[in-house]
Amino acid sequence: MREQNISASGGIKWGYAFNQWKVGWQGFARVDDNVRALKITSACGFRNVELTAGTGPWDPLGRPESIVMNFGSVRKFAAQFGDWGIERFTGVFLDPTQLSFEEGHFGLRTTRRDDHALISQQAAVFARFLSEIGGEYLVLQPLPAYWQEGALTPDALRTAAELINPLGAANAALGLKTYLHLDALSALRTPEQLDDLLALCPAPHIGLAVDTAELTIVGHDVVALYRRYHERVLHFHFKDALATDTLSEYQLPHADRVMILAGGKREIPRWFGELGTGLVDFKGLVKAMRELDYRGWVIVESDKGPQPVASSVMLNSWYLQNELQPLLAAPVVAG
Amino acid sequence: MTPSPRKLRFAYMDHWRIDGPQGFVSPYSSVKLLDGFVKQIAALGFEGLETFDFHLDVLTDLFGSLGNAREFLQERGIDRMVSLFHAVIFKNGVSQPHERATHDMLFNNAHRIVKSSGGLGVLNLIVMPAGQYYDVEPVTDERIRAAADLWSRVGKMTLEYGIRVCCHHEFYCGIHHFEEVRKFYEWSDPRYVFWYCDTAQHTIAGVDPVDLYMRLHDRCGGFHLKDAHHVDRVGDYRQRPESEVTGKTTPRWFWEMGTPEGLVNFPALFAAMKEYGYQGWVGVEHDKADIGGGNYPASTAIAAWYIRNVLQKIYA
Repeated sequence: MREQNISASGGIKWGYAFNQWKVGWQGFARVDDNVRALKITSACGFRNVELTAGTGPWDPLGRPESIVMNFGSVRKFAAQFGDWGIERFTGVFLDPTQLSFEEGHFGLRTTRRDDHALISQQAAVFARFLSEIGGEYLVLQPLPAYWQEGALTPDALRTAAELINPLGAANAALGLKTYLHLDALSALRTPEQLDDLLALCPAPHIGLAVDTAELTIVGHDVVALYRRYHERVLHFHFKDALATDTLSEYQLPHADRVMILAGGKREIPRWFGELGTGLVDFKGLVKAMRELDYRGWVIVESDKGPQPVASSVMLNSWYLQNELQPLLAAPVVAG
Repeated sequence: MTPSPRKLRFAYMDHWRIDGPQGFVSPYSSVKLLDGFVKQIAALGFEGLETFDFHLDVLTDLFGSLGNAREFLQERGIDRMVSLFHAVIFKNGVSQPHERATHDMLFNNAHRIVKSSGGLGVLNLIVMPAGQYYDVEPVTDERIRAAADLWSRVGKMTLEYGIRVCCHHEFYCGIHHFEEVRKFYEWSDPRYVFWYCDTAQHTIAGVDPVDLYMRLHDRCGGFHLKDAHHVDRVGDYRQRPESEVTGKTTPRWFWEMGTPEGLVNFPALFAAMKEYGYQGWVGVEHDKADIGGGNYPASTAIAAWYIRNVLQKIYA
């Protein structure tokens, strides 16, 4: 087979997310299906994978407890994934607003002090797991959705920072970075609020995760946003956006379902698309990343696309190999 | 430029269907659909495609010429259309390799295809060398000789276009038992008739493709690597109207490489290919991968994984 053009370029390391494979609570629950999905990801040239924190016994890679149940121990798991063509599980994405059977909640808020202990406990489960398997980071959804939280107040931001800073320090003690990920529904909407959040969380082991599609849906120009915050951007999720939230539907109750899954008033069939098929200027972005010497992981995603998932991974692989990697390989032109 | 040290290049034999708003459609329905299909294949590391000859017309219409179509493939990382599968309807009294009176019709049909395929970079015309078993039997020596003579004549003609005739023995083909295959290659002209090793078809027919490769390696024109989970032990090769889709043994005969139930010993095959120094294109095929809820992209990626992680470690 022809060698695939997905190597680390300068400081950029490529990986792929694993969130797109899960279907409902009890779908994709077999270990064999998970291994097959990892082999498909590997075959597409992505040998580093970011996991998503899951819950319940139906998600073999979603919790360390599930991994122990299915593979015997985390160490046995770590000894095995190389056989599937996977070099590393880079990190875990954790959204505390999602229910967790293990921690016994239906969703927590970083903006509520009473929830902090349980969020920290939950994050620590994944941090210990990551430190055992050679992972590097925890991606944290740092704030609830607007429809849950309402307009974000300075006090709510400070409260969230009171959680994030010690959580980041605990992660750092295990050798992990903490990346703050904002999605299209986040209560944090403006650059000014983002300035405040980053100022409240100044530690070098805490940074911003730029999700290209989510922030484009909000209405941000992600290239400009990256240029503005590049010193604090430590992580990327690359997926394309096929529409923007021009009707401010992020405010609707249960916008996660009404807007994202059902498409809102316009019945948007897909918000997220394969790289190069939508509104994100990926070529402009990687040029800026190269110019500003970005060093870190870029995790490509196939979020909420149509079946088959493999098709999306293959298309993203082609775009990366043929459209983005050549830009990174070309000589830097001064000026 | 340093020449590639690789002895093998991989091509994808296309049965792809895309599940979209119109239901399942062929990628040969628009430039956009082909674009997505070709990019997916190329992303995995395949460098060639194989398809059916009945796609030539639509390729010409979509791109203006087959040369333009090849350029489209090359822009996306696919070098050429390595093979055309010659889709012949075999009918007694009209078009049957075992019936000499029908040979002119079959010869002229193949001639028309190779004449019209220029520009795509085609190297092989893949044919099933005999009709369905139930139409051919009793499979006498004379019938096998007739088929051998036909394809020798056709193969001599196609070579004038730079294209080899490669015979591909479906498990329901009139020539599929070991002795039938052996006689066919003994009686056909080795200059003009080549063997295409479809690993699943031979396995289903009860013939070990590794053993057959070791016997016929000097006639081997290429491969269709696919796996089988079942051997035909009940005479499904006689099942009308077509055993591949109406056999009693299983609704799905063919599987991608890399499934635990697979019967083909691919590592042994690659070891034999290394031993005999095979060089050139190797086709990977997923025929009817969507039966039972499967899909072509996942099957193709799993096969690519198997090549990279298992087979290329043996021979590349």
